[in-house]
Amino acid sequence: MLKRLLLLRGAELIALALLATIPLTVNNSYALGLLTLLAIYGILLIGLDVTVGYLGQVNLAQAAFLGLGAYAAGLSVTMFGFGMLEALAMSMLIGLVLGGLLAFPALRLEGPQFALATLSFSALSTTVLNEWEQLTGGAQGLSLSRPALFGHPVNAPGFYWLCLILLALVWMALRNMLSSQWGRAFEALRDSPIATDAMGVGTYRHKVAGFALGSSLGGLAGGLYAFNFEYLQPQSFTYDLMVILLLGVVLGGRKSLWGAFFGASLIVLLPNLLSNRLMFVVISALGLLVAVIAGARGWMKKTTQPFQAIAPVIAMGMLVVGGFLVENTENWRKGIFALMLFSVVVGLPDGIMGFAARYLTRLFRIDPPALPPAAALDEVLPVRRSDGRPLLELKNLKRYFGGVKAVDDICMTVRSGQVHGLIGPNGSGKSTAVNVISGLYAPTSGAVLLQGKALPTGSLFKVARAGVARTFQNLQLFGELSALDNVMLALQGAYRKPLPLVLLGLARAEEQRAQAGALALLELVGLKGQARVRAKDLTYGSQRFLEIARALARKPELLILDEPAAGLAHPDVNVLVDIIKSIHRRGITIILIEHHMDVVSELCDTVTVVDGGQVIAAGTPDEVKRDPKVIKAYLGVANGTEAPATAPLPV
Amino acid sequence: MLPESRMNTFIIAQMAVSGALMGLVYALIAYGFQLTFATSKSINFGQGELVMLSAFFSLTLLDLGMPYWLMVPGGLLFGAAMGLVVERACVRLSLEQKNEGWILLTIIFGLLGFSAAENIWGRDDRPFPSPISADAMHFFGISITPLEISVAIGVFAVMGAIELFKRKTLLGKAFEAVAADRDAAQLMGVSATHTIMLSYGLSGMVAAMAGILISPITTVGPTMASALILKAFSVAVVAGLDSGFGVVVIGIVLGALESLTSFYIGSGWREAPGLILLILALAVRPNGVFGKASIRKV
Repeated sequence: MLKRLLLLRGAELIALALLATIPLTVNNSYALGLLTLLAIYGILLIGLDVTVGYLGQVNLAQAAFLGLGAYAAGLSVTMFGFGMLEALAMSMLIGLVLGGLLAFPALRLEGPQFALATLSFSALSTTVLNEWEQLTGGAQGLSLSRPALFGHPVNAPGFYWLCLILLALVWMALRNMLSSQWGRAFEALRDSPIATDAMGVGTYRHKVAGFALGSSLGGLAGGLYAFNFEYLQPQSFTYDLMVILLLGVVLGGRKSLWGAFFGASLIVLLPNLLSNRLMFVVISALGLLVAVIAGARGWMKKTTQPFQAIAPVIAMGMLVVGGFLVENTENWRKGIFALMLFSVVVGLPDGIMGFAARYLTRLFRIDPPALPPAAALDEVLPVRRSDGRPLLELKNLKRYFGGVKAVDDICMTVRSGQVHGLIGPNGSGKSTAVNVISGLYAPTSGAVLLQGKALPTGSLFKVARAGVARTFQNLQLFGELSALDNVMLALQGAYRKPLPLVLLGLARAEEQRAQAGALALLELVGLKGQARVRAKDLTYGSQRFLEIARALARKPELLILDEPAAGLAHPDVNVLVDIIKSIHRRGITIILIEHHMDVVSELCDTVTVVDGGQVIAAGTPDEVKRDPKVIKAYLGVANGTEAPATAPLPV
Repeated sequence: MLPESRMNTFIIAQMAVSGALMGLVYALIAYGFQLTFATSKSINFGQGELVMLSAFFSLTLLDLGMPYWLMVPGGLLFGAAMGLVVERACVRLSLEQKNEGWILLTIIFGLLGFSAAENIWGRDDRPFPSPISADAMHFFGISITPLEISVAIGVFAVMGAIELFKRKTLLGKAFEAVAADRDAAQLMGVSATHTIMLSYGLSGMVAAMAGILISPITTVGPTMASALILKAFSVAVVAGLDSGFGVVVIGIVLGALESLTSFYIGSGWREAPGLILLILALAVRPNGVFGKASIRKV
């Protein structure tokens, strides 16, 4: 624990101290300029990494936010005479507001459409900066002078320290945020947006918040940029800069503060390195060497595909050969960036810091921090008194897909405290019914009532918030998160501290309590010993149990288990039955969709049988097993013959 | 002399018609996006650079003394070859790994192409000769040049030929099968990889055609890439990435709108309506005006 703290925090402190003392020892205004730019780009790239790394979206608008923030700061100084801090606050605000406005429509989209939306936003903002000449001076540019800080003029080293302090603050705030529920939500929504919604966390709102935060950091960096150069031109913030920023984040390593910082230093230093012939030769040769070694190692160990091994070598080879053919390497700056970026994206997808971090963790054997003892289960999941009154009612529920009547007029009542089985042959409409209840699909018509009140429809998130939790037939775990984090993410009512407190690092106590609570639930399903194992590394059976624990973390009124025994080995089915029994004992109402008739018979108080989208039988397990319509649905009956009324279903 | 208001109507009509003809080229580039999106759900973010590189290559062929009508197939072949390069270098790996790395990689391809064009052919815009006359003809007071008409003919010819290919040939049906359901097509013995290669080759060819058609009107230069690609993106997204009919309609509308904006507000704003439309369309109808919505599955 102490070692971890010393190593991680120690590295940060040493880096900060080094950077802060350079201006005291080196008296060189050019170097100071580069360092200032490094701090500014550090902030900018940390912001960009929130979307590109943590949200996993290709964001092409960060250069635009830099520009908008720069103009906001510049104009608030030239027009309103703002001081330094007010102007910086202004540029942050502009980034936050415009980022939020762009995020609302853009983040309903995925992948390429999102990239396109941000690309258009950048082009649009360049147009506006260029054309709104009365305000921005257009292509002529905007000159300003650095305003005073609390009434004192700021000289170059002073401004550098200000940038450095802001970088350190941003760093700490982001670190606090990423190690909180917010960070978990960012990870989760990349793995499974559907489950993130179904766990009541809200994919969309977290994406919007993350994007707006990243944009506000872009704006802040823009403000600093304006005060650093004291002259702004719209052409500085175009697509070209954006590609270079992406290069920084990807090359440095996504999802890493150190990666963003490393990327920033690369961006700042690269133009200088490229303009020096000897340096260029050395760098391209080094790049080729790394590509060859990494490629050969990957190929030998069969961890990478041949293309991943060869393509970076070719790209780096082009760089080396091109270096000898081309007269002036600076003219080829973009091409050189392109080749380097290509090699990294293909050959080293985690970036240089991602690669280094894995290596260093192994070298120093840094353990994850210790876990608190598990909380008492009664605290996390109090036993409820169940009164047997109707909890969930489906009234004439219909859901059609075009001409397919997947759910056709289903009526069903689930009583509080019961295990209610929902069975039927494949394609009978069970899963669709459950998907309508849980909000994945809106019903075509009909009503769903929870405790007599209409349940929200068509939104997984709202239904989850109303007290319904579910598992998925095809697992929807957050594969990259640990078992513990999977449960913690869903833990209802555990995170009450507002974002500002989280950013300041004042939410650690509730984080500890959440860990204890999640451990209690993992204990219930027998996974306490594997709390730190990544979900995708668990066995299939354990993954199923983890989904149940995660759903329980919602402390639901109603728990829907969608074929929990599907694909389980026989011993695991017995474990599952025990788990469901112990959940039932805590008074939680359960809808169980299942094919294993023995499981259904053992657990269910009531069973509803559907076929062809309609209810064909309802009653106790024994009653429905003898129902001729049920036997016909499952086994089929030759025309004209009646099934023997007494023959029970085979189990 | 015509009265002022009639004059205005004529100007508007003139602007709309010449804008619409330009819009057809945007539609053609957008159609190139649709081809690859259909088979692989990916598009080439460096398509603008592909248009530009093909145009420069064709110009070099002309400079070397090749007759115009021989240059066209040469340029198209070059475009197809570049499309295949994009597929191999930037798209295939990330499709196999089922991630969105292709967005970044095709952007990188565009950057490399831009840098190469800048250094090989220079940063200045150059005229692109065409045997078709640029002398205006007058219809109802609106002047149109044979050159502009040739753009319309070229666009419809290429799109028609590809649609015919998709419907009438076995290879084209394989294309449609992969577009409808990649896994099922693969189980039926259609190679998805080859079909995706085909779609990128066709898409590159379409881009080259767009370059050859538009260059005599706009001139050729490295910056034509970014100007064209944004408009083509707008057209593709507003229309929907799966509607060939949609891109033509939206292309015409957007081209006209752009030309009118540039006349009434200022040429610096000419890109604004497309960009605003794009963001709005994404917000209101993410699948495009002519697109189909998809159902989420778990």
